[in-house]
Amino acid sequence: MANTDSSRRFFSASIEDSMDALYGVALRMAGTPADAEDLVADAVAKAWTAFATLDDRSRFRPWIFRILRNCFISDYRKKSIRPVESAYREQIGDDEDDGLAALLNQQSDEFLNWWAEPEHEFFNDILGEAIMSAIDRLPDAFRMTVLLINVEGLTYDEAAEALGVPCGTIRSRMKRGRTLLQKALWRQAIDAGLAIEDDRQGSTDE
Amino acid sequence: MSEHKDNSVNSDIGCLQAIDALYAYLDGELDDPDTTASFERHIQHCRSCYSRAEVESLLTKRVRAAAKSQASAALQARLRHLMDNF
Repeated sequence: MANTDSSRRFFSASIEDSMDALYGVALRMAGTPADAEDLVADAVAKAWTAFATLDDRSRFRPWIFRILRNCFISDYRKKSIRPVESAYREQIGDDEDDGLAALLNQQSDEFLNWWAEPEHEFFNDILGEAIMSAIDRLPDAFRMTVLLINVEGLTYDEAAEALGVPCGTIRSRMKRGRTLLQKALWRQAIDAGLAIEDDRQGSTDE
Repeated sequence: MSEHKDNSVNSDIGCLQAIDALYAYLDGELDDPDTTASFERHIQHCRSCYSRAEVESLLTKRVRAAAKSQASAALQARLRHLMDNF
């Protein structure tokens, strides 16, 4: 079915609103600005072709992010500078929840003590870079979940639709992704000499 | 672990349950009013979980600030040109 003028106006306005978000997510998937721009352009072209399949226009955001993601997987992942995590699995199930909670419990106290020190206000630039580096090294599934929710403001329901997984999986990924993020930041702080490792935590790492 | 004090309210939750609900709460995704009330009651009385919630909230702000990107003028022009030709 051909797209109407009204469809065209809606589509253009929605893309205008989403350009920064699409580019931001594409950049974290593709790894370079040039590939990210190509990826966004390809996804927008595919989205327009498939626009008639969008039944509920209020779901445009998850819909376009899903197309972006599918585009990346089908056309870009092979040449991405990121390692392909084909063997990666969700790594979390109900039976691991207790272990996860225990990890969060121990790690957050340590992280908190470090993070809460006033002089870290001086390290904002370093922290910004450290955060991006830590996000980039998250396993793909967690990185995308944290980005879509914490950076782009999607709801869990929208993120589930964008990534093609159940809502409960998004909830688990947020917990796990944020824990891994803290762990990476904590490790970077220790490596940079900004924090001192507490020996008592040494045996609790994965 | 924490200094959580059970005020003998049946619906009160422990630290592990509070941590389990923490991200959904901060992300505005705790749909159940009872769970939300239990969580809020818990962090009002548990310093450890309250601090954790504060740190997580700060980390979210810093993640957002660090990861926000802007489409270049060239990309914006490319997309507009693309859409003009649909």
